[in-house]
Amino acid sequence: MVSDEDLVGKFPGQSLDRDNAAHFRGRLERRLLINRCEACGLWRHPPKPVCPRCWSSSVRPTEVAGTGTIHLLIFLHQGPPAEGVDYSKPYPVATVELDEQPGLRFTGAVMGAPNDAIAIGERVRLDWIERAGAPLPIFRLAEEGRR
Amino acid sequence: MSSSRNPLKDKVAIAGAATTGFTPHNTERSHASLAAEACIKVIRECGLTAADIDGICGSNPSAPMVQSMLGIPEVTWFANLPIPFVNQVATASAAVAAGLAEVVLAYHTPYRLPWNTANSLKDPFRRGGMGMGPGPGPDTVAGAVGYTAWASRYMYEYGAKKEHFGYVALNGRANAARNPAAAMREPLTMDDYLSARMIRWPLCLLDMDVPVDGADAFIITTAERARDLKLPPALVHAAVLGMIDHNEEEQTPALRDHGQRVVVETLKAKSDIGLDGVDVYFPYDGFSFITLSWLEMVGYCGPGEAGAFLEANRDPATGRVLINGRVPMNPHGGALSEGGTQGSGHIREAVHQLQGLAGERQTPDARTALVTAGGFFFNAQGLVLRKG
Repeated sequence: MVSDEDLVGKFPGQSLDRDNAAHFRGRLERRLLINRCEACGLWRHPPKPVCPRCWSSSVRPTEVAGTGTIHLLIFLHQGPPAEGVDYSKPYPVATVELDEQPGLRFTGAVMGAPNDAIAIGERVRLDWIERAGAPLPIFRLAEEGRR
Repeated sequence: MSSSRNPLKDKVAIAGAATTGFTPHNTERSHASLAAEACIKVIRECGLTAADIDGICGSNPSAPMVQSMLGIPEVTWFANLPIPFVNQVATASAAVAAGLAEVVLAYHTPYRLPWNTANSLKDPFRRGGMGMGPGPGPDTVAGAVGYTAWASRYMYEYGAKKEHFGYVALNGRANAARNPAAAMREPLTMDDYLSARMIRWPLCLLDMDVPVDGADAFIITTAERARDLKLPPALVHAAVLGMIDHNEEEQTPALRDHGQRVVVETLKAKSDIGLDGVDVYFPYDGFSFITLSWLEMVGYCGPGEAGAFLEANRDPATGRVLINGRVPMNPHGGALSEGGTQGSGHIREAVHQLQGLAGERQTPDARTALVTAGGFFFNAQGLVLRKG
């Protein structure tokens, strides 16, 4: 397992702590881990040390399928510098409602589709790219088909 | 959930409010010098001296720094709280009502810094302490971006048009023309608005408040003490900071279910005055979309109707909104045109309107002001002020 020191070093600019470290370790293996309560089954993101519904501290980072529906969508015409991001084509960022539970959402860029095909309500699936030496979760439109 | 308990009601007053005015450029002034100017002005306008102040409540700079800078001999309570500024007013009022202090100096100093404008980096004195290392990158809707994300959802659910957001911007600019303290006073047309630079679709430059240098300052004391001071008091009638458990931008349940819902329910429970009794309204407009949401949440119109409501309640010639032919909306120009004051400008203008000190912007016989500050997630706030 990658050390805490190396894990933090892999994600400069992100605020890593003991509660979200497992999520970021999952990213290094290209697995999207979301906390799920072992006592009552509730999914909750971002990571917290207890379940907000039953207050159990048995919250287990659990892999999700990565399929879902675009709930919020923006196109960045400018933004923070990031490797491989060129805002001359507006950069689509979507908050995706995951299939595991109503209201459970995860945010990432949408790639591999023309911007005018990306819209709220579209089905997407998780994929991974490499950015600045670490895997980054992104979404692709579902009808693209699996590689 | 919203308790009607409100022992604070009308017991505490804002005795005075002062501003430096705002500019959308990097001034040669320090953060502290702007705070000092506004604080000294409001203390003098109230007929007080430094020795009368026994509480300090602000944003930046810190209360200890302000006390030392202004030579305030002794305080018995102080706090530096997150904005928007209803937080400072509510907490200082509670401190006065509880007897932690009797005369509180409250202040906020909007300042152009790298978090709100990259242009501030041209001034070496504004670069310090901002941790200009790598940020979290663009793949997020956390922070201010969250409002753009929910604006997209609003357009999707209700078919809102870009012009609907524009009505908010045009009202602010028309009102700022009558406010000498405002940063942006040149006329603005719908064509100007629609052709403004897109920043994050669906919001453009003119949907976002303008980063400014300046300061607002207030004196908050007992209603009794305020009546003995130089200016007419504005009574704190009800205040609330509303928040729900899903307060992360991406996890917020729905367009009608977030902190603003709690604010409105709580004001209804705590205030004796309904929406019909409001004479001047201050919906937050740090992003134009937030104003549309507030108009619907407080009940001026139904879900998704704010655009049509503004269209029906605005003068197309001036762009100015007069709700039901009577109630001005952000008569100072709001965050979009007076400047991004994180609510202090809205509250300052509410006080001036109730004091009858709003100059050519004065609402005739303004007796009640409603301020709904902040947005959805962890900063939705409400404040009802009454003429003393």
